[in-house]
Amino acid sequence: MSRRQPREGGTSRRQPREGGTSRRQPPPPPRGARTQRTRSSSRFRGWLRHHRAMCLDSARRLLRTPIGSLLTMLAIAIALVLPAALWLALDSARLLDAELEESATLTVYLEHQVDEGQAGRIDEAVAAHEGVARTRLISAAEGMAEFQQALGLADALGRLEDNPLPASIVVVPVDPAPEAVRRLAGELEALSGIDEVRLDLAWLERLRHLAELGSRLALALAVLFGLGVLLVVGNTIRLAVESRRQEIEVVMLIGATHSFVRRPFLYSGAWYGLGGGLLAWGLLALGNQWLALPVSALAASYGATFTLPQLGPEGSATLLLCSTLLGWLGAWIAVSRHLAEVRPR
Amino acid sequence: MILFEHVGKRYGGRFDALANIDFRVERGEMVFLTGHSGAGKSSLLRLIMLLERPTRGRVLVAGHDIGRLHPSQVPFYRRQIGVVFQDHQLLHDRSIFHNVALPLEIRGFEPHEAARRVRAALDKVGLLHREKALPIELSGGEQQRVGIARAVVCKPSLLLADEPTGNLDPQLSADIMALFEDFNRIGTTVMIASHDLALIARLRHRVLRLREGRLVADEEAA
Repeated sequence: MSRRQPREGGTSRRQPREGGTSRRQPPPPPRGARTQRTRSSSRFRGWLRHHRAMCLDSARRLLRTPIGSLLTMLAIAIALVLPAALWLALDSARLLDAELEESATLTVYLEHQVDEGQAGRIDEAVAAHEGVARTRLISAAEGMAEFQQALGLADALGRLEDNPLPASIVVVPVDPAPEAVRRLAGELEALSGIDEVRLDLAWLERLRHLAELGSRLALALAVLFGLGVLLVVGNTIRLAVESRRQEIEVVMLIGATHSFVRRPFLYSGAWYGLGGGLLAWGLLALGNQWLALPVSALAASYGATFTLPQLGPEGSATLLLCSTLLGWLGAWIAVSRHLAEVRPR
Repeated sequence: MILFEHVGKRYGGRFDALANIDFRVERGEMVFLTGHSGAGKSSLLRLIMLLERPTRGRVLVAGHDIGRLHPSQVPFYRRQIGVVFQDHQLLHDRSIFHNVALPLEIRGFEPHEAARRVRAALDKVGLLHREKALPIELSGGEQQRVGIARAVVCKPSLLLADEPTGNLDPQLSADIMALFEDFNRIGTTVMIASHDLALIARLRHRVLRLREGRLVADEEAA
């Protein structure tokens, strides 16, 4: 039989029966099989039902392999703890910074020959300056006493015949910003009877630079470790996809959309993320407990009270939200890569 | 219902799995696709299922050039087609009931409506009493009937079957074919790939014969 024969034979033989009618019939809509229930409300309810079912089903699957799931969540938690801890440390540094700014003061040293009466008038003049919030005058004698007390050198200094210290005024500026303080210092220096204005801004600026460095470091680490979470979840979900390959192929053959196939895996990823986030939260709380005692002892030795910062409700919510989203995203990437492979060629 | 126009499918740039295929299947027809293994039966069905796209020519199903469908429309296209596989393709981690319910689940049916349809389909294939069983607990013939129930539960307009009786003895094979004839009688277009020539000859339907990727005969129903 020649190979042209069947086609010619087939078509010519079929033509009478067709009679041109069957082709003219309007084709059914491409979604014909669903026409019976295309009511959107019922479809929306079906969609919701599937979400609920997949949410529970993926949780059950995780619980079926508790150790494996826990290890994955722990890996996620460890990746989250470091950036979260750094962020907390920066947060407390920022609080410290604000406190320091408040205590940014200038010390105005008066000339040696200024007597107490003159010192009082200079103090009033300084206090009258619009950039000055308040002042405190320290006479030469008071200065000496403070100095002796601070250094514990009472004996040595007591032997001095003359008080070498000038009277001084501690000035609290209205605006603690470095530029404003520097300008104020210049203006105060121009007043008569003032020898020198000292402002110790250098270390404050250094601290600010350090904080900036720290926050950039935290951001870089957060991005890196966020990627780490994506990889951990992505790899876990990739294995889950492999183990359910047949199921995916079957449901796609009978008309499942990509989002239908993706859904259970996205929920798994989100559960992994949420679990990892909760574990990270626990690890942070544990670390806080572990470090609280030495930190407060250290702070006490400096005569300060300092407590480690804790994740408030807002911080906790952020942590959990981020970890859940990262898990979801990791799963999305893993499943999408697989779905791209099963497209018709 | 199905129209192939000069369809060719080439794999790896050299091997022609199908070459210059032309045929037309009318709505409500029952057609057998036969030929030796490797003759291109499965490739042809895979083109209709849109698991693959033709290298040449056009495939029209229900008047639509399925080569033009956007990937996002492919799932909705496939919902019009019921497919029965030689190896059943049942999911072994769920019961017969849930296997048959799968297409309804995908379409978002209400649970009670889905249950009603699943039971109707299982009743049709005579397995209503096994709805709680797992696929592994069923014989090969029973598993195939579950596969058929799953394929018809959504009342598709086109039913495709790839070697549905491949592993069954003659009596079971005849039973399965009788089921397909039942569905054909209520208007479903049925296309069955099979190399069981004796059985096909007995059933007296139209036969498309493939050899080495070419359509070598189109025998009208007797």
